[in-house]
Formats: sequence, structure tokens, C-alpha cells
Amino acid sequence: MIPVITGVGVVSAFGLGTQVFFNSLAEGRSAIRPIQSFDATSFPTRVAGEVPIETFHAIKNISRPNPTLDHYEQIDAFRDRKVVFGLLAALEAWNSAHCGEREQEAALSIALGLEQAFLDDFAPVFSDGKIDWNAESQLADSNVRIRSHVGLCVDLLGKHLNLRGPTFINASACAAGGLAVAQAASLIQRGTASVVLCGGADSMVNPFGIGGMARLGAPSPRNEPDACRPFDRRRDGLVIGEGSAMFVVESEERARNRGVKPLARILGWGSTQDAYRVTAPRPDGSAARQAMVRALIRAKHQPEDVGYINAHGTGTPLNDIAEAKAIRDTFGTHADHLPVSSIKGAIGHLMAASGAIELAACLLPLQRNILPGTAHHREKDPACEINVIGEQPVEANVDVVLSNSFGFGGQNVALVLGK
Amino acid sequence: MNQSRRPVFVSGAAAVSAFGFEWRGIGAALKEGRVSFSHSSQLADSHPSILASEVPAIPVSIDAANAKAQKLMSRAAHLATIAVQQALADAHWEDNREEIGFYAGVGASGGSMVELTEMLRASIVEHQFSLARFGSAGLAACNPLFAFQLMNNFTLCHGAILAGVSGPNSAFYSRGNGTVAALFEASHAIAEGDCERALAGGADSAVHAVTWAELKREGYARNGFVPGEGAALLALSASADNALAIVEHCAFGNSLTSDRNDLDKLLMNIDITEIHSVIIAPWGTPARQTLRALTETHFPQASVLNINEFLGDALAATPALAWVTALDLLQTEEINKCLILNAGIDGGIGAVLLGKTSRHANIMEHGQ
Repeated sequence: MIPVITGVGVVSAFGLGTQVFFNSLAEGRSAIRPIQSFDATSFPTRVAGEVPIETFHAIKNISRPNPTLDHYEQIDAFRDRKVVFGLLAALEAWNSAHCGEREQEAALSIALGLEQAFLDDFAPVFSDGKIDWNAESQLADSNVRIRSHVGLCVDLLGKHLNLRGPTFINASACAAGGLAVAQAASLIQRGTASVVLCGGADSMVNPFGIGGMARLGAPSPRNEPDACRPFDRRRDGLVIGEGSAMFVVESEERARNRGVKPLARILGWGSTQDAYRVTAPRPDGSAARQAMVRALIRAKHQPEDVGYINAHGTGTPLNDIAEAKAIRDTFGTHADHLPVSSIKGAIGHLMAASGAIELAACLLPLQRNILPGTAHHREKDPACEINVIGEQPVEANVDVVLSNSFGFGGQNVALVLGK
Repeated sequence: MNQSRRPVFVSGAAAVSAFGFEWRGIGAALKEGRVSFSHSSQLADSHPSILASEVPAIPVSIDAANAKAQKLMSRAAHLATIAVQQALADAHWEDNREEIGFYAGVGASGGSMVELTEMLRASIVEHQFSLARFGSAGLAACNPLFAFQLMNNFTLCHGAILAGVSGPNSAFYSRGNGTVAALFEASHAIAEGDCERALAGGADSAVHAVTWAELKREGYARNGFVPGEGAALLALSASADNALAIVEHCAFGNSLTSDRNDLDKLLMNIDITEIHSVIIAPWGTPARQTLRALTETHFPQASVLNINEFLGDALAATPALAWVTALDLLQTEEINKCLILNAGIDGGIGAVLLGKTSRHANIMEHGQ
């Protein structure tokens, strides 16, 4: 059975909705700007691919046929931004695939980032330089406090949509979004699920998330709209983003039978582990290459069949050079002309959701014959011997595209989509 | 890719638990009624007098992580690195580790409380958290590598890096079923030809101040809930050579109820009359009561062990510790099969059936 994508939903720094996302990419826009959701003026990192405030508040407009949303609002679940993003994107995907009661048997395969930490919650119970856990326990209630739990978004989605299938929460850092969609495709191909709601949601645009990443030195030190410049010779770090992309995946036959037009086929996927270092990608890109090779083998395609690569392309010095080597080694001379781009310069790095939203970006070439550009990529890096699309998108008719996602800790995944 | 189903064998295992660093003997210890609970050393400052099931001091001789590497690790990640080394050694997998898959159930983040406290000390003045102080001084007060301790996928990654395991992989967040999902995926990766060998299991620690506070807040830290920790892995292979057991069934669903139909669906295609040994691994009291009720109705003749009564609740690690216990019982007891049922607070229920290797049935399905 061939798994196909029949619905998509996106929440990004461009705003709410897939068409907003597609139109913005097609226009070559960038949405990196100063952080608005908290006062970041004392932070080393002060820009992000932040979801607009009005998009976040779209949660208020969702119809509430059952008390689930009210309950989650009451327990302060929406303090965790990715819960809101995941729900908004899932509802768009669900509706765009014309899902109904029969689809409630769906499995759920979702990539979620870490718990959101609420450091200010410690303030009332912090005395004499330490946490008074006894006092903390006196505050006992069921509300989300100190940190949200990782599965909060899944709990809400399952209840709101009344999903009955098994749940997979992928926690593989920046590779998680791609792995979650690969998981969904596996379930369809095996025949162990008929429909899967899948994708990823994440937000690190909060004080602890932004601060922690800044402490690691991963973000660009420049707090400018062009802070992230993937594959550019002057690149100096990533920009943190947030949002979600969700998909409905089912078999091609099932989609046909219920009269829903597929947006893309999920042809292949492959994962590997760098097994190199905690703090850096494998410099020769060999494990990343192997993930692409596995994906192409599963897809039964030759490297020359691929017409576009959506790169992981973080804009960090080490990632981009290793990924360029991996692409060059996988595609050989085809890489001379194979268009490659990264959308992280435009919307930031969505961490656990990055693989999902970048797969959504891969629908742009398949649906509109437009290859997204690489925002802020102006000076080619001779060390990255690949054909990087510049800031402006280009028109091209391609049948097969590949998306890479590489996680902190060395987890790699590649997916191949086709018309 | 070869889509034909192949049997999946267990070639080795590892367990890191309050009983030590060996998986062999865990079954006997539980049968003897050995309980591992003692006053927690890790919670001594935050929650004194809590009983916990804690892993004993790790001998340097089995610790692949040096002091520098340990600074990047959560407790769960550290325990997982030991389990990875032990499982690979137990299966005699010294070569071609780049092809070995690794699928793990992982828990919440678990960073150093010392680092967190330093961060808060620099950011809170007179019960007021200051964003400005946090940005300017709080961040600088903690080790920059603190963030690595918080990344829960590193529970998988540290072990893979230290052992050179670089095949297909995934980390699943687990409140029980994520660990079964890890075994499910690892088994399918082998059955479908993605890899010939894979590690599958889980690692976690409930013996952490923030986690324990959450458990209290959510109402689980009562009714006999004892925080535990550990790591356990099965070394799975397509090869029957020197196999210890076969994975006969692996399934999970979302409907934990006392309705026997739910369990029936999960155990579809299994002849339950052949099952005389059941291990349950419930997450919290309601799950324990439901699993007890289900086993009484489905397996009235079976011997039932509740792993949590002896090893506490090690969250994402508990189902895997139960599998390894079953593996041990299959080696030492006159049983042909052992069923492991886990259940969690999220309503998830999982079923894994391990059998002696003379049986080559191999069924893996979702139940619900």
C-alpha cells in the first residue's frame, strides 16, 4: 500500500494556515523578527521565528463541541505554546483531508519537543537560596506548573478529535518530525493503521528555551532578521523558531475510495545515528548520507530521480558543511545541478517540528511547481559544494523531492516524497 | 526493502536496576519476593524520607562514560549507556555496529537540580522572578552544557555514541506505551529487513525532584507508588543463532478498561490458554487495579508477578525491565511463554509475548 498525504495544516512564523505558509515561501519572505511574547532584552538571543500573537489567540475561535478544550484551558495547558500550535495545525489537516467519524480510528504519530519550563513558578517557593519542595506541594492542584508534560498536546488532540488508534510520541529532537511522518507511512504500508494523523509541534520561544539554546551557543550571535543564513559563507548560527505542521496520511486506495485527492506520495524514508559526538554532527556526513541512501532504496528511486532537496540547513557552521558533503556523496555529479534549499532562514528552526514543517514545504514544489528559496543566502560557501537556491524561490516541475532532518545527538532521517 | 515477515529473536539483554547490573537473576529475585526499596539518596534534599528503588553506585569498571561525558547526561541517559554496553556484550555483538538499530522509550527531561538551583538563585529576588536577571545572570550561573542533560532523546544518543551503534533509530516519549512502541518498531525494522539487529527498551528515572513533585501533584505519589529508576534493553536479531527467546507478539492500544474485549483485541491471534506466566507493569494505582482485574479474568491459572511491587515505578524503563524479567524466567522456569502487560496513566495498554525459541510463531499487530 502506498501511503499518501491527504491533508496538511501549518502554524508558522508566517501565521496560521498552509496557504499563508505556501504564499509566503513562494514570495521569498522571511519572518524572523524581535521576540514579542516575552521581554528578551537582557538575553543573548533576541530574535526568533515566532508565531504571531494573533495566530496564537486563534485557539479562542475553535468550536468546542465537547468540554475538552475548556478543561485544558482551565488547567493552563495553553501556557505550553506547542499545545496550541499542534491543535491548530491538526485541525486544519483534519478538515482539509475531509476527515470525519470514520477517520477517528486514526493512529497518532507526533513529534513533540521537551516540556515547556515555567521558571517563574518557582518564585513563590524559593527561599534561602533553595526550592522549598514542601511549600511547593502545598500549592497542589492539577494545573500545569513548573513544566508541562511532553504528551500534553497528544492528550488534548486525542480527546478533542476522539481518536481511537494507538499513539506514538516521537522524541528524537530535530529528527523527530521526519521520523513521526515516516512512522505514519510505515503504519499505512504495513496495513496496521488505515489513517494516521501525524506531524510535529514545538516551541522553544520562551525564556528557558531561548536562554538554554543561547547558553549552548547554537543561535547566531547577531540579533538581526537575517541571523540565520543557511549554506552562506558568513553563516554563524541558527535562529529558533516555533510552530507545527500536521498531516493526514492514509493509503492511496483509501483516499481514492473516499474521493480525496492526495497531495503527495510518501515514497521512502531512512534513519541513522551519527554515533559521533553529542555536541557536533559527524563531519564527513556519512551517517546522514546513509539515511538518504536508505530512503532512496525504500522509494525505489535513483539519486538522479530527485528534483529538489529541502535541506536540514540550520545555518550553523558545522551542520551545513557536513550536510553538503552528505548530499554530494549521495548524489555525485547530479548534485551539481540538484536544487537544494533550507527554509530555516525564513521561519527559524522548529526543533522537534522542523522535519514536519519542512515536509510541508516540500508540498510547494509538488503542488505549485515552486521550489522554496533559502532566505538570507547571499554568498556561496565554497566548502558547501551543492547547488543552493538563493533567496528567491524558483519555478521548476519536479516529481520527486527529498527532505533531510538531523537531530541534536546525531539522529538523522531522510524522507522522499513524490507526486 | 524486504517486506516479508521474519521471526525476531532475542539474542541478549541488559538490565540496570536497584538489583544491580545483571539481567540474569531478576526473575528469581522477584519470585523470592526481594524488595529493593530504601530511603532515597537522590531525593534526600528535596523530599526526605521518600522510599525509592534506586540503582546502586555504578562501578567504574562497567561505566563507559567518563566524568566529562557524564556532565552531559541525565540520570536516565547515564543508566542507558550502561545498558547499551551490557546488551551488546551479552549478545556478543562486537562487529558491524553501524548497522545495529536502536529504539528506546524515554521519559521526561532530568537535568541536574544543582544547576537549576544556581540558575534560580541568580534570577529570583524576594520571591520575584526577574526576566532581566535571568537573561543577564541566571543563564550564566549554570553550566552551558546543562541543556544537554534536558534533551530526552539523549537517553538514546549517549549510548549509541559510546557504543558506535548507528543503524535505524527512534526515541519515543513514554509513560509506558512509548517503550512498547520502541519494541514494536525495532521488531518491525528487523521483520521488514531494515536491519538485521536492533536494541529495544527504555530508560528513565522517577527519582528526580521535579518528576516526583509532578507525580505528587498529579495524584500518583500515593497508594503504594514508589519512584524507581533503571534501564533495560533486549538485543533483537533476525538470526536464531544462540537465541534466548522469540518475540511472539507486540501490540498496544489506547483503551485501558476492565472490559475484557479490549484486552481480547490486544491479544488477537494469541492462544491465551498456553499462557501460564504473566508479568504486569502498571503505571499508577488505577492501572494496577485494572491489570490485576484483567489478568484474573483472562489468566486465572497463570502465575502473575507485578514488577512494580519489587522495583518501584521506573516510568519509561518499567515495561522493558518487565520484558527482561520475563526473559530470565524463560531461561530458568518450566514455562514456554511469558506475557507482559503494561498500562499507563494515559490509558495506554501494551502486550508483549516472549516465547522459548522452539516456537517460531511471530505475530506483531496493533490491537486497538
